[in-house]
Amino acid sequence: MKKATTKSLIPVKALVTKIVPETWNVRTYYIKVPEGIELPKPGQFDMLYIHGVGEVPISVSDVLVGDRVIAHTVRFVGSVTTAFSVLKEGDIIGFRGPYGIGWPLDLVINKDLLLIAGGIGLPPLRPVIREVAQNRKAYGRLVILYGARTPRDLLYTYEYGEYASIPNTELHLTVDNPDSGWRGNVGVVTELIRKIDLDPSNTYAFICGPEIMMKYAIKELISKGFKSNRIFISLERRMKCGVGLCGHCQMGPYFVCEHGPVFPLWFISKYFWVDQI
Amino acid sequence: MVCTLSLTGLYVGSTESLSVIFTQLKDLNYTVVGYKVVDNVLRLCELGSYEEIPTGVEDVQSPGNYTLTVGGFYRHGPDSPKKFLYPPRLTLFKVTPNWEVVEEGLNDVRLAFFGLKPCDLASIKVLDRVLGGVDEFYTRVRANMAVIVENCTIPGNTCFCATMGTGPRARNSFDIAYTKINNKLVIEAGSELGLKLLNKLEVEPIDDSTYADFEATMRRASLKARANFEVDNLPELIELNIGCKVYIDMSKRCLGCANCNMVCPTCFCFDILDIPKIDGSAERVRVWDGCLNYTYAQVAGGHFRPDLCARYRHFILHKFTYWIKQFGTYGCVGCGRCITWCPTGIDLRETIVQVLKGVTA
Repeated sequence: MKKATTKSLIPVKALVTKIVPETWNVRTYYIKVPEGIELPKPGQFDMLYIHGVGEVPISVSDVLVGDRVIAHTVRFVGSVTTAFSVLKEGDIIGFRGPYGIGWPLDLVINKDLLLIAGGIGLPPLRPVIREVAQNRKAYGRLVILYGARTPRDLLYTYEYGEYASIPNTELHLTVDNPDSGWRGNVGVVTELIRKIDLDPSNTYAFICGPEIMMKYAIKELISKGFKSNRIFISLERRMKCGVGLCGHCQMGPYFVCEHGPVFPLWFISKYFWVDQI
Repeated sequence: MVCTLSLTGLYVGSTESLSVIFTQLKDLNYTVVGYKVVDNVLRLCELGSYEEIPTGVEDVQSPGNYTLTVGGFYRHGPDSPKKFLYPPRLTLFKVTPNWEVVEEGLNDVRLAFFGLKPCDLASIKVLDRVLGGVDEFYTRVRANMAVIVENCTIPGNTCFCATMGTGPRARNSFDIAYTKINNKLVIEAGSELGLKLLNKLEVEPIDDSTYADFEATMRRASLKARANFEVDNLPELIELNIGCKVYIDMSKRCLGCANCNMVCPTCFCFDILDIPKIDGSAERVRVWDGCLNYTYAQVAGGHFRPDLCARYRHFILHKFTYWIKQFGTYGCVGCGRCITWCPTGIDLRETIVQVLKGVTA
């Protein structure tokens, strides 16, 4: 890949074609990107720029190839993401990307795939679910474990039927704090791992969620017999450039934006367990 | 005496040679940057004339202290060449209300650093690996840059260039290197430009007695500019002792002000600000950022290094371990600025000594 330069920080103009409300504080923005922009692979991210406000790294949550439209699911937490909440369909934003190394789907051919997502960690895994659904025969069993704080924080609820109807696929949900209508699992997502039967020698695990949740999930998988080269995690860090220049996203010697965000656990295991590395 | 000057020769001339070099650089249309006394501190500034270069002053540096006093030799101040090669604040481009991107034009510059010390020359070599061919501004300035370096005959109390292998004598990558010895100037050229400048001076091949003094002076300086550790396998040892409690102790005095990052001649991290303008445009402005700043590793939903000891540990590990993995060189040149300009005098040398004790014990 060509080494990025300061010029790589210049965005192109992109159209917001559709906005889908997901939860009380999350929406998905469908962005049409110009010809010449490479379409992202599952697990990659883009830098989205709101004029006069700033830029944020956002995972790709879907790609509509023919339309050149890329979906980004945004939770309103900081100043830039909050500015997203006032965007309307037809608005223009700045776009740079795709960046980073995504999920290693080529490794999973004919293997079972375990996806573990927490909260806003599901969007970067959604393109993986899409890929498995579209090329179902290429992959083995698909198990999706997804946890959120409360039932109203669960993302893409309107798609769960679709996920469950993918052959040889299971979807298990859990919430930390149930409401009166919740009939499903209660507790952290790691408890779901304990409950299901997995074949560690034939399964790859892709994990994305809060770091604390990923740490517990990894420990659980390792106790089940998973080896660290079978576990891939997607890391979050502060990123101002997305292309390995600004320094903020360092995890040990790695620039998460450039060398990740998806890492095989063994690449980073020396650093990952160190508190506040 | 007529002789053919060479790149490998060491010559002696009078100290007046320096003003000749200065004038030559001006005649060659270089913008000359060197030290000047501003608010009782040595700052790197554009120099109009040779007379602006301070004489008879000395910077007394110690952990958390910088005082300019009467003396015969000075090293440096808070500025490093980074200030000119990678400005603290640079507008990268502007996005108009119609979404046109207007890039800032970069002017061709011919910059000559005058009187840099070897540690700062080494910092340019480090930045070459980080920013060369990556940052347009840096690459542009670097392309037409000259360096006149002064070997460091009396290193300061926070200096450890000899430990880092960057000084006190510059070995390469300069145009001219000079050393003040017994009111004379020992001088050598390191490039074609340097040779051209050297040819304008009245110099002779170095005599035995001056050479002996030069060698003795540099040896003394080298002994002074040492920390109480050796680099050797330092990168690995520091990483092996990543959980060391020393970072907690050393950072107890840390204010998180990021002065160390700002004065460091190699720290390259940046933030980008979005500055709205009255015409509806937004400027994207690059500013220096540092890993000791509270917000450095903060994201809207959390914080990856809320504790000062973790941020301080990252600074040390980046300079001495990660940098080598990322860029093939140390991120520290031993200039000692982070020690001098730390408001509470946290001494990086002491931290490393303590961390190493932890692994070897």
